[in-house]
Amino acid sequence: MEPELRDRGIFRLNAVRPNLIDDVVARTTAEFAGKPAENQLSETLYLERRRLRNFHPTVFTKGRKDRDLRLYNDLQKGLLRSPGEADRGAMLERVTRHFAEEIGGHFDPAIYRIASHAVPWGFNWLLNAASVRRFLPWGLTESLESRINVHGEIDSLRALSRRGTILLVPTHQSNIDSVLIGYIIYLLGLPPFAYGAGLNLYSNPVLNFFMSNLGAYTVDRAKTNEIYKSTLKNYSIALLQEGIHSIFFPGGGRSRSGAVESKLKLGLLGTGLQAQIQGYQAGKPNPNVYVVPMVMSYHFVLEAASLIEAYLAESGGHRFILAGDESWQVSKVARFFWKFFSSQAGLHVSIGRPLDVFGNFVDEEGRSIGPNGTLIDPKRWLMTRGELCADEQRDREYTRELGRKIVDRFHRENVVLTSHAVAFAFFEMIRQKYPDFDLYRILRLSHAQRSRPTDDFLSYAEGLRQRLIDAEKRGDLKLSDELRSGSGAMSGPSPLPAWIADGMAQLGLLHESPVLEVSEDIISAVDMNLLYYYRNRLSGYGLSILAETGGPRKSPGEHDEKGFLA
Amino acid sequence: MMKKDFWHNSKVVVIGSGSWGTVLANLVARNSVETRLWSRDEEQVRAMNATRVNAKYLPNTPLHERIQVVHSLDRLFEGGVRVVIWALPSSACREQAKQFARYLTGDEIVIHATKGVEPVTLKRVSEILKEELPCARIGVISGPNLAQEVARGDPSAAVVASRFDEVIECGQVLFTNDNFRVYGSYDVIGVEWAGALKNVLAIASGALESLGLGWNAKALLITRGLVELARFGMAMGGKEPTFLGLAGLGDLLATSNSTLSRNYRVGMAIAKGEKLPDILSRLGGTAEGVKTATTVREFAVARGIPMPITEGVYQLLQGNVQVGEAIRVLMTRPLKSEWST
Repeated sequence: MEPELRDRGIFRLNAVRPNLIDDVVARTTAEFAGKPAENQLSETLYLERRRLRNFHPTVFTKGRKDRDLRLYNDLQKGLLRSPGEADRGAMLERVTRHFAEEIGGHFDPAIYRIASHAVPWGFNWLLNAASVRRFLPWGLTESLESRINVHGEIDSLRALSRRGTILLVPTHQSNIDSVLIGYIIYLLGLPPFAYGAGLNLYSNPVLNFFMSNLGAYTVDRAKTNEIYKSTLKNYSIALLQEGIHSIFFPGGGRSRSGAVESKLKLGLLGTGLQAQIQGYQAGKPNPNVYVVPMVMSYHFVLEAASLIEAYLAESGGHRFILAGDESWQVSKVARFFWKFFSSQAGLHVSIGRPLDVFGNFVDEEGRSIGPNGTLIDPKRWLMTRGELCADEQRDREYTRELGRKIVDRFHRENVVLTSHAVAFAFFEMIRQKYPDFDLYRILRLSHAQRSRPTDDFLSYAEGLRQRLIDAEKRGDLKLSDELRSGSGAMSGPSPLPAWIADGMAQLGLLHESPVLEVSEDIISAVDMNLLYYYRNRLSGYGLSILAETGGPRKSPGEHDEKGFLA
Repeated sequence: MMKKDFWHNSKVVVIGSGSWGTVLANLVARNSVETRLWSRDEEQVRAMNATRVNAKYLPNTPLHERIQVVHSLDRLFEGGVRVVIWALPSSACREQAKQFARYLTGDEIVIHATKGVEPVTLKRVSEILKEELPCARIGVISGPNLAQEVARGDPSAAVVASRFDEVIECGQVLFTNDNFRVYGSYDVIGVEWAGALKNVLAIASGALESLGLGWNAKALLITRGLVELARFGMAMGGKEPTFLGLAGLGDLLATSNSTLSRNYRVGMAIAKGEKLPDILSRLGGTAEGVKTATTVREFAVARGIPMPITEGVYQLLQGNVQVGEAIRVLMTRPLKSEWST
């Protein structure tokens, strides 16, 4: 990273933090100024009391709970007195400040220096220790960079990070994502980005120490009251306005189905637009926020089994027994990295074309390019009734459009791996055999029913590959080199075509048992849920014989929910 | 300043001086400080400024005093225009938009009044405008608005649909008067598709009229036509209530019963055995339904979508069948439930 960056953006977070928190509190209380504070406060008290009843603190989180309880006891006492005796405005400000302090992160450059040296060193050590290549002669080492394929608009990202504020919006499949994104940002020579991390991650004292000092801020999804949500948004706006690059996972949480996100949470996403508006109003020189989509493609997702079960339980309404705790466990993460490094698996990261806050493309100089290819002045789009201002309804609509564009870019930037194609082909083949079965019945097929002759599968899979090649030519998606060329890193001595052998070997490689198995001339699915999960990476592209909801618009008639056009 | 005053004090341009464009300019001129009406025909511009009447399309209605008719685009957009009313035929919509794009800055409100779709791509007019103009805030005005009746000052209503409140507000402020009501809607897709598809049904209705059939037949056509229209429109993303509203059923009823509708007149003439090119050449204006029928029919055939009435209209326009034969085909289709697709 260039030295000049070291006194900008996040490196100034600690210096500006007190002002930033004051600003957030002022803005948030101002938002509620017109509404009766009494109602907001009592709603918050009610929701928070209910949340705390179900909150079981550990030794690390007890202090937090005690502070919460003290605040709410005072709040209750205050609300029972008349507004003359206990000023509602002051109470609102106290609650807001409490939330803002909890959300607000820190950034310690010293810790960043240590971490940025230790983490890559640790990764590389792990890589070489775990790799089979440790048996290679001394001096031959492998670097993590060779395993992470970063492609796409890297130069634009670097250029724009100097011109304005970056809002990085990645797809989200695994808890590993945030660690890897942090590492990729470091690899690209960019300053660290601020990101919202779930409050639960802070209960781990080691993670807490690093995250709190590396610019992460806390997001507590259990807090559903309006004051908290508004404080969180204003905090994000304040960071962006301060020029601190930020990361949001716009899908909310991890993709449960395994599919590329097609429904986004627009609340936090809209803070980019608000930051830019407030920046213009404050006369800042570079108030522009650039939204950069990023898509990660894995052959293997650590939490695949529990995610897909949660998805099925939710969408099917069937009873599913959820497999254990979804939370971040250090042992699980360690196991992922060990397995990742010991395998030959690579992962692909696409940096998408940068967008402005409306979803228009921007060039390397940060100028917005309209759909007709000519330059657009974003200020003009923010003029309403002759004035540059925020407008709730208009801005919601702009953000909806941005969300639509991000979904479209996610799908187009997605790098399809051999394992995804193999999973999709096999699953669809089985579904075609049982066209009358619903999804849940398909997932419960017997072993014999979910087996197919290898030759049939090979011709089906090759047909799919050709369709994928056509889709890539149209710009609908991207293919990994192996898939496009039909080769494969893991082919070895196998009668199967190289890319299929590669895909079968990589597919969910690190799960307890394989997803597909080959015996004689038969291929069988061992774990239908996992097969479905990895198959879903290709849903939303209109490749399936069955109707799909979600996905970006591909043709006229995409809203045909009642199947009139089917 | 009141919100409304901003729109009253804005310069408005109306692009397209056909009958509906001229009527819209007259409506707007009552409510704004300055209205400029654009025509691509220099001769017509001179004549309209001299006689203060649109002799070709609206001979019996004087132009409002605050309307200036202009031809030069520089003059049209001079001095900061806030609102653009787009009233050109759908053919060459994209080319026209490309031509106007460089005069717009991005903060203008654009409301179009075109009832058609782009051939092959099936893009709606607001989609085309969004792709070609630098503006984001675009809306559509539609409804049962036979131009001559609105020009006379008969009570009428329209709907302005946009995703943006400010566009709806602007349309309501500029178009409303004691004889013209404007409703708002967020369902841009539904309003645009309803407007395009009803033209096809108007042709069918005109053809039916020429046979001298009674109200049963007309009611059958309108009702089942509405079902066909609404199903297709909903599949394209429109919302059900829109098709029962002013832009849907409302417009369908008006255009299916009036010789003031050009599409209806096309239907009448074709049923009498006249050839389509002859009819169109003496129509005096565009019959959008002719193109829409072909566009939608091609899409329906490619996708295997049953749209029997549209198919009938298409065959009729091609001169492949007579009205009697088209009706026979429709009447002898397999029986089914009224609610089934």
